Amino acid sequence: MQTVDPVSDEVSSNAPSETPSNVRSEAAKKIQKRDAWSRRIPLLPALIFLIAVTQIPFVLSIYYSLTEWTVNPPRPRTFEGVENYTFAFTDDFFRDAAWVTAKMTFWSVVLSVLFGLGMAMLLDRKFRGVGVVRTLVLTPFLVMPVVASLVWKTQMFDASFGMINWFTDQLGLEPYEFVSRRPLWSVIAVLVWQWTPFMMLILLAGLQSQSDSVLEAARVDGATKWGIFRQITLPHLRSYIELCALLGAIYLIQVFDHIVGLAGGVASTRNLPFFVYRTSIGGGWRFGEASAYSIIVVVITIIFATFGLRVLSGLLEGEDAA
Amino acid sequence: MAEVKFENASRIYPGSDEPAVDRLNIDIGDGELLVLVGPSGSGKSTALRMLAGLEWIDSGSVYINDKDVTLSPPQDRDIAMVFQNYALYPSMTVAQNMGFALKQQGIPKEQRTKQVREAARILDLEPYLDRKPKNLSGGQRQRVAMGRAIVRSPQVFLMDEPLSNLDAKLRVQTRTELADLQARLGVTTVYVTHDQVEALTMGHRVAVLNFGVLQQVDSPAILYSRPKNRFVAGFIGSPAMNLIDVDPGEDRHLRVADLDIPLAPEVAAALKTSGPGTHTVGLRPEHMSIGTEGIAGEVAVVEELGSESFVHVNTMHQGEPLLIEVRAEGQTKIQRGDHVNVAVRGPAHVFGPDGERVGD
Amino acid sequence: MSKSTDVADFGSNRFTGALLSGFTYLLGFMFFFPILWMVLNAFKTEADANGDPVFFFEPTLDQFRLVTEDIPGRASFSAVYTNSFTIVVVSTVIVMILAVPAAFALSVRPIAKWRDVLFFFISTKFLPVVAGILPVYIIGRELDLLNTRWSLIIMYTALNLPLAVWMLRSFFQEVPTELIEAARIDGASLRSQLTSVVLPIVAPGLAATGLLCFIFAWNEFFLSLQLNTSDAQTASVWVTGFESQREDFIAKLSAASTLVVLPVVLAGWVAQKRMIRGLAMGAIK
Repeated sequence: MQTVDPVSDEVSSNAPSETPSNVRSEAAKKIQKRDAWSRRIPLLPALIFLIAVTQIPFVLSIYYSLTEWTVNPPRPRTFEGVENYTFAFTDDFFRDAAWVTAKMTFWSVVLSVLFGLGMAMLLDRKFRGVGVVRTLVLTPFLVMPVVASLVWKTQMFDASFGMINWFTDQLGLEPYEFVSRRPLWSVIAVLVWQWTPFMMLILLAGLQSQSDSVLEAARVDGATKWGIFRQITLPHLRSYIELCALLGAIYLIQVFDHIVGLAGGVASTRNLPFFVYRTSIGGGWRFGEASAYSIIVVVITIIFATFGLRVLSGLLEGEDAA
Repeated sequence: MAEVKFENASRIYPGSDEPAVDRLNIDIGDGELLVLVGPSGSGKSTALRMLAGLEWIDSGSVYINDKDVTLSPPQDRDIAMVFQNYALYPSMTVAQNMGFALKQQGIPKEQRTKQVREAARILDLEPYLDRKPKNLSGGQRQRVAMGRAIVRSPQVFLMDEPLSNLDAKLRVQTRTELADLQARLGVTTVYVTHDQVEALTMGHRVAVLNFGVLQQVDSPAILYSRPKNRFVAGFIGSPAMNLIDVDPGEDRHLRVADLDIPLAPEVAAALKTSGPGTHTVGLRPEHMSIGTEGIAGEVAVVEELGSESFVHVNTMHQGEPLLIEVRAEGQTKIQRGDHVNVAVRGPAHVFGPDGERVGD
Repeated sequence: MSKSTDVADFGSNRFTGALLSGFTYLLGFMFFFPILWMVLNAFKTEADANGDPVFFFEPTLDQFRLVTEDIPGRASFSAVYTNSFTIVVVSTVIVMILAVPAAFALSVRPIAKWRDVLFFFISTKFLPVVAGILPVYIIGRELDLLNTRWSLIIMYTALNLPLAVWMLRSFFQEVPTELIEAARIDGASLRSQLTSVVLPIVAPGLAATGLLCFIFAWNEFFLSLQLNTSDAQTASVWVTGFESQREDFIAKLSAASTLVVLPVVLAGWVAQKRMIRGLAMGAIK
């Protein structure tokens, strides 16, 4: 007989020998069911809200993606099946946007994790003012992305009067038009500036959660500083780094503010979300196509996330005993 | 004040083949302190939690005062529990911790304060009533955990290794205080520990568990003098009983390294019909002595405790090396390397090929 | 915090230690510099702010005055700020009200399918808002919610809810199971377990989560731009209005930017330790 454990809600089968009387098993089943429901109820408000607000638009997107629906010039919406999807795979612009997304996400994540790790290591020491430095480094993460983009565009990167060019000018170098010549990298630079603090915080927590005794044992065993880092610290940080990368990717795939704020959405900076937006209410007015694109983005994200979440499952697995 | 009864109670964890607790049957009398003891994984904590309602009972039943509480949630069983890690509410003061359950029952504040004060008085906690757990020592926290339990005057006390987190000296001291308190309050108590010394000194009766199966439940004296099987024999008693495998052979005599072990008449009689196969002889260190006659051997290690000494003697038995531990009174002049003889001065226990006690 | 076995403690000699600290100060300064520069520019005249960088100048509050005064055709500063505050605070409160019980149901007394539910919560972030804006816009229009505060309150709640549930859940798991069991034996109802036992322990985590929701909602730009173009405009959209093709704008933009980033930066600084703990805890466990 299958029963649901009201303590852990796991399903089990009865021990082989004694079977309870009918009356008792009826009461037991009722208790188990009541308990299972009392557990679900706290979850329901959040769940229902989220389903309503996110799934209705999602289902609508799926529906629109199967139609041909353009608004400029306005034409009636007709059902087209998967034509939008097949078109997407041959569309150069779509492919370019996918490629930009890959580059932008990859480099922002990788660089901010690397710099974050470096800063974390520097801040994992005790010295006067370490709290102040940490506060200073934290701030870029708090700054509004549009503000960050505008400030960098007008005051840092600016070819004539920006601070970077002022600095290189002191060294005798020619001024460089960062945003016009390298728009994608300008975007990546600002993204890295803003996300390094986030990575740093997580990795700092990872560094400080190392076991003192393990580190001391390694020193007693004669390991060098570099050896300790490579063989003890890095493996310990592995799950933190993976988490950083996963969380960072989830947010960094969706970048929009910087693309618009820095380079005005110039072609070489258009990632997939931006491209989809442009195709729909951002100017293209081709709603059917845009919806198909957005569904494809979801599928791609699911694939990568399932990959990445298997990593997190490793982290979740350890809680099973709870 | 209540009687507690486990009736064929079993618990098998989902996904596991073996039950954690297998058809446990114990009757606990009113006011009794019953200790559940056993090694890790023996199911003792699980059994306690089944009584508490924190573990589901897959089959069988549990009764408190003849009332079937198998399906009742913890709050309806009128029990109080002391956890190994004390589980004190960190955001509440000692007084609030102790009064929490009473508050849940809707008891008015004046009455609550009175009961809390009374419990605090019994446990010498009055000066700490306004402190938070983080400002208490381990011993004080342990007493608050006790106070939280006694303030409710429940039918049954459940204690899950309540002394394990105390340092050795405090543990011994608190042990006696706890036993004394229980006797004074007269509340039926089920007490779990892995420490058999604690079990023997505190329990009116002790239930020994291994792998979820009840091995024996008896008074400490009987567990010591008449262990029902090999496991209980080796588990109860410190230092542990020497357990030596011997084949009684045709003549149904048990020889350890050439010494014919003297057996009580009923044991020798039972031995005649206990069947073929390897038996086990159990000899407690305190029932042997070092002298001029007996098993010949060489001293390997001497442990001097001041009040007594333990001598570990190497000898050969059935072609294999055998280490026998022998107790000596007071300090000893015996040294490592000495050649000595070990004689048997007390009862020898015999266990058959199935591990069960031979003879009554 | 730091141990004598610091990995980054290259050389036990004080010189390299000081060098490293100095280098760290420098990096900290460099990280902070763009923000510092922006705040400095807010106190300059347009003449000083545009053109070659000026390091010594006469500070003035003119820009702040210009930016906060009411000008027809531009949303007023007070209206915009109030909008942002209201939207962000209300949405954060709603998030917490929904997320706390949900996290409870996924950790302390978990439902059977907690893993699936957690995955669902995260999966709602798989469709970038930027890409999925069309149906949201259409629904907003149909429900007459465009250009109201509620449009953003609802959307921000949906955006922050997964993060909040995730973080709160890991805070809840810090609560020892024994404590909950003790409360059950003491007769506490589910609600009592939550309020008397769990919440006091996770209070710092609650603060950290609320702060993060505040940050993300306050800084949000895209949805505000799409859904609330005129009325109920938020600070993020308002500040972009200061970029101009016609005239020098850097000083004004800097002043507006300073005003707009101030709440979050201050909150982040003050609650820094909490937020760090929250990020680390929430992220890791």
